[in-house]
Amino acid sequence: MNVNYISDLIAYMPELLVIGTMLLLLATEAFIKNCPKMVSYIVSFIGLGFAAISLLGTISNPAKTIFFDALIIDPFSSLMKLLIVVGTMVAIFLSYSSKDIYKSLKAEFLIMTVGIAVGGMLLASANNMLTFYLGIETLSILSYVAASMMKRNELSAEGGLKYALYGGITAGMMLYGMSHIYGLVGTLEFAGIGSYISEYSTEKLLILLPAFMLFFVGIGYKIAAVPFHMWAPDVYEGSPIPTTTFFSIVPKMAGIAALVRITFIFFNVDGGILQHTWIGVLSLLAALTMTVGNVAAVKQRSIKRLLAYSSISHAGVMMLGAVVISEVGVQAISFYAVVYLFMTAVAFYVLSHISDMNGNDHMERFSGLASRYPLMAILMSIALFSLAGLPPFAGFIAKFNILYALITKKYYVLAIVAVLNSLVSLYYYMRIVRVMVFGAPESTEAIIGFSKLNQAVILGLSIPIVLLGVYWNSLSMFVESASIIIR
Amino acid sequence: MHGLLSWILWMPVIGLVGVLLIPKGKDQIVRYFSLVNTIVTMVLSGILYMNFDNTISGIQPHLMERVPWIEQFNIFYYLGVDGLSLPMILLTSLLFFICILSSWTITKSVRAYFALFLMLQASVNGVFMSLDFFLFYVFWEVMLIPMFFLIGIWGGENKEYAAVKFFLYTFFGSILMLVGMVALYYVTSDPTTGLGSFDLIGLKGGQFRHLTVPIFGYELPFNHLFFIFMFIGFAIKVPVFPFHTWLPHAHVQAPTAVSVILAGVLLKMGTYGFLRISFPIFPESTVYFATAIAVLGLINVIYGALCAMAQNDMKKLIAYSSVSHMGFVMLGMSAMTIQGMNGAVLQMFNHGTSTAMMFLLVGILYERSHHRWIVRPDGTKGFGGLYTQLPKYTVVFIIAMFASMGLPGLSGFISEALIFIGMYKVYTTITVLAVIGLLIGAAYLLWMFKRMFYGEVIDSVKGYTDMNGREIFYMLPLCVAVILFGIYPTPVLDMMKASVGDLVRLLGSF
Repeated sequence: MNVNYISDLIAYMPELLVIGTMLLLLATEAFIKNCPKMVSYIVSFIGLGFAAISLLGTISNPAKTIFFDALIIDPFSSLMKLLIVVGTMVAIFLSYSSKDIYKSLKAEFLIMTVGIAVGGMLLASANNMLTFYLGIETLSILSYVAASMMKRNELSAEGGLKYALYGGITAGMMLYGMSHIYGLVGTLEFAGIGSYISEYSTEKLLILLPAFMLFFVGIGYKIAAVPFHMWAPDVYEGSPIPTTTFFSIVPKMAGIAALVRITFIFFNVDGGILQHTWIGVLSLLAALTMTVGNVAAVKQRSIKRLLAYSSISHAGVMMLGAVVISEVGVQAISFYAVVYLFMTAVAFYVLSHISDMNGNDHMERFSGLASRYPLMAILMSIALFSLAGLPPFAGFIAKFNILYALITKKYYVLAIVAVLNSLVSLYYYMRIVRVMVFGAPESTEAIIGFSKLNQAVILGLSIPIVLLGVYWNSLSMFVESASIIIR
Repeated sequence: MHGLLSWILWMPVIGLVGVLLIPKGKDQIVRYFSLVNTIVTMVLSGILYMNFDNTISGIQPHLMERVPWIEQFNIFYYLGVDGLSLPMILLTSLLFFICILSSWTITKSVRAYFALFLMLQASVNGVFMSLDFFLFYVFWEVMLIPMFFLIGIWGGENKEYAAVKFFLYTFFGSILMLVGMVALYYVTSDPTTGLGSFDLIGLKGGQFRHLTVPIFGYELPFNHLFFIFMFIGFAIKVPVFPFHTWLPHAHVQAPTAVSVILAGVLLKMGTYGFLRISFPIFPESTVYFATAIAVLGLINVIYGALCAMAQNDMKKLIAYSSVSHMGFVMLGMSAMTIQGMNGAVLQMFNHGTSTAMMFLLVGILYERSHHRWIVRPDGTKGFGGLYTQLPKYTVVFIIAMFASMGLPGLSGFISEALIFIGMYKVYTTITVLAVIGLLIGAAYLLWMFKRMFYGEVIDSVKGYTDMNGREIFYMLPLCVAVILFGIYPTPVLDMMKASVGDLVRLLGSF
């Protein structure tokens, strides 16, 4: 086989940049005594920034596989990787001022998140079972550490342990499923498995079904799909807020990217029994994920936990896009993912600063925010209304795209379940808005976290929510060009 | 006159930005600025009326605006007026002007209040002007945000509950409509380009008769299913029994001006939705479900009136009377005759003016008494002998009450008479039963009047001041409207004649 390593490495540039950043961070932390935190932050921002730019520059390149077909670089994977990198930057910026990340651990947080981003990028472009597994494990193992970063906090330790236990079990199940697939098909490559499925008769394929279900467990766990979501609320609640922000963006993007890819490659055979079953199971799980996430969020008092449950339901909505198995569905997912990143970021930023001020994140701490920080209350309300899918905000357009994708395949029932879920979600998002706007302020002290810079960043992150709600043609075009998946 | 509609639509938004730019603490400037803004909008609406050509049925071509908005989904910024929307636009402009005046006494966060109020005006106008379904939906939903805050911040004691209930109910209705909207877009999509249509004019005419929708393996008829979905969406707004339970809460808790807008304009958005979307797009389903609509309308009339009869809270009484009066609109529409439909649209307009008067009067009294009890919960009288204390107020009250009761010579009579004439041939029994609703209507209003204005002057009523100049000033246009259109309804009827005729012909062909 003739492999051009140079061109492969160039295509792998974004990942190399992120890996380089991680190594550089390790080096600065290890060799420079009393290195000011600022240096690590600058290093990580420059590294990730370059990675983002290189991703943006190569996003429209034609799809190609690299390293003996181990990885695939296509527009869709590039887009998801871009979101992973940007999501990482968002979490890192938040960690700078967050009290949840102890001063002495800031650099560790950076190394950990950048490392997780590498795992996520690997997962997003995995093209065979081994790289897939490698990606998931890189993602997971570092996540366990990141979750338990608040060493002196019991909840954080508990969260980390739970995460690790669940992760271990699901990884084992996934590996078991993979070994079956390998045993039956004789190849680890996605493309090979895909062509096997399209060639063989139904009886043979039926044996594959349980293997695929086991395989799905691993992905389901990463995107916190019901019934593999049990770890999520505890981990999200226990983790420091920047880590929670990170968890509700980056691993989900990676997981969704992987889910879309395997659905596309394996189950794209029309009318096959395998496709039927996969779609059936996936739609059921998506519907359950949305519903369970939303219903559980209704009663939460801790906003962090509430947002954790809501992020479960949003993952369910994105899964709906995968059910469709068409370009339209992938576009809808991409659009949703972009918008979701901004909405989640704004919500968590505001949450983080309030929680830092008060030492906890209970609903009551938001009371009267509108009279103390009108701008922040308005931006938080915009983010929450957008998460609920209310026009004229981008969340509505994202929901609209998913609905359209569902209806192009006549999945009306799923569409109805999805909109009813947004009603439930509106209820609990509105509870926060209610407390912020109608409640009386608890104190008149200034919230330290809302410095000019932080307010500006939150404002900057909210602008796309409003702008894309009013005019989203350009983003639509962009995701359309980036939603091409090689079959 | 291209661009006129846009000016009317965006003028409140300009006002909103202006209000937000006025520095904190200059409350009086904010009030005057908002007032001027609504006056400008009203003048522009007047110009719109002057340019309106009564002879053209359907959308007025010289006023229409159509600009691509989102090419990828074939969404247009598409505005237009016809005989159904023009009365509503005029009503909106008038009522918002009056409500700004009646909100003069608001002192809590004045800037935010007026900004939200103007935002509400823009979204309501948007609903009445949009001819693109997507645009319509966006305005329809955006309206919820200012309403939520207006009720929740400036409302009465139980305001948060009312605000949340209002928000969730209407949102529930609109998400079902959303599914219908996307489904319509999908079934109209062109096989080569994949682009569907959100064009409310293009979707007209019942093209969806032979389509089916798979739900759990059953093939349901497309038109009936989505007619019901959209019906629920609009019915919640009207509100049609049994979707009316949000209304008494929202009305009682909302500040006066918001109640006026809610009853005067927002409820009409529901019936306007039927006329603009449900009926023309699914005419065969409309015919199929016509009797059901008539029965629901009848329930509204009777049930609303009986509920009103039982209220001790003045504002709640008026709120339930709205339920009853909107039932007449439903009845008129369900008959699908020229007279019935004309009556329904006229009733939308007339109810807007008369109920606005009633709510404004409740608000004026409330500012003096700080309670609204006709009979207090402990059984004592809340008011008594107001007639001798507030003579001017009583005169206006009598006009409003009789207009709302449908006394000949006042506006309510014409529209109700038209509705009855229109539907007698079609639903004789229902018509006869509906007349009972009229009777109960007279009973609860007169009984309220008797308890509050006649009888001995009770101590707490002594010392109330009569209506001041500002209050008289803003009640005046409404008084003129109910009397004028009671004697001479032709201007309003002429406006809508052609468009209503079109709609009736379309429905008649199925």
